[in-house]
Amino acid sequence: MIRIAAVGDVHVDKDVLGRYRPALEQLPDVADVLLIAGDLTRHGTVEEAKCMAQEFGDVGVPVVTVLGNHDHQSDQELQVMDVLRDAGMTVLEGEGTVLTLNGHRLGIAGAKGFGGGFAGACASSFGEREMKSFVGTTEAIADKLGAALRGLDCDALVALTHYAPVPETLVGEPLEIYPFLGSYLLGQAIDSAPTALALHGHAHHGSERGRTPGGVPVRNVAHPVIKQAYNVYQLLSENAETRLVNA
Amino acid sequence: MAQKLDEYVEAEIQRLLTENGAVAEQGITLQRREHMLILGGEVESAQRRDEICRQITTKFPDVEIACDIGIVRAAAPSEVEEIS
Repeated sequence: MIRIAAVGDVHVDKDVLGRYRPALEQLPDVADVLLIAGDLTRHGTVEEAKCMAQEFGDVGVPVVTVLGNHDHQSDQELQVMDVLRDAGMTVLEGEGTVLTLNGHRLGIAGAKGFGGGFAGACASSFGEREMKSFVGTTEAIADKLGAALRGLDCDALVALTHYAPVPETLVGEPLEIYPFLGSYLLGQAIDSAPTALALHGHAHHGSERGRTPGGVPVRNVAHPVIKQAYNVYQLLSENAETRLVNA
Repeated sequence: MAQKLDEYVEAEIQRLLTENGAVAEQGITLQRREHMLILGGEVESAQRRDEICRQITTKFPDVEIACDIGIVRAAAPSEVEEIS
């Protein structure tokens, strides 16, 4: 059994310090790892990253994260990643990691992702340079995510993104902005590997549950969606024994 | 007299809430009523909610606003979901 705690869009700054700590202190009792689906900060500054490291560092379980669009706002994403890594967090961008938890190998491949939309209403790499760059950015990220997922040797495989891989978890958002919230290319990458669970954030008004066309469960763990400090998902269950009650 | 609340004002406020460094929120909803703008969504702190209202009131002093923005709860979970 592996228990995965997950949340996204925590947008930490000085004014948030201490809000998550009471719930995080319970984390080692209820989960084996914490995954954070991007938008760790408000503006992507080093100072905010230090606040994030203070709030979500030293929680008693490994912390694995990707960045979100907010974490790119100040063009300091490399420094932000350094701060988080110095605090012991694993930051993934088109790469993967394997953690041994409870005797099982949990593989996690992560990338921020990007937009472009979904079947029937997706952007195409055509016309203006800016449009081709927009679609090409998503293609490159999805290619890296797919390769990272396929390259991991593990017992359970999880995909972690900020942008959404399916439209189902966007329900509640205005239809007009779906292309800015995710891309089917991320779902296709997730379906190219034996992924057990895909986690994302970004869509504050979206829905929690969906599935990729290939059948992979998708969970939108944006904080305003889950409305608690983190959710807990259980993989490789031998039994349902846990200190939490099954949903 | 209250400023006319048309689509252009709504769009300007929506962009203000994202692009203004003191706010930087993309998840605030705006509902235009005849004489009032209703703000919805959730943010991480009371200070952020208050700053949103302050920014709108400063930039659009004639726009009457009603703030229904909540603070996202951050309690520990009581349930686990088994993925299969």
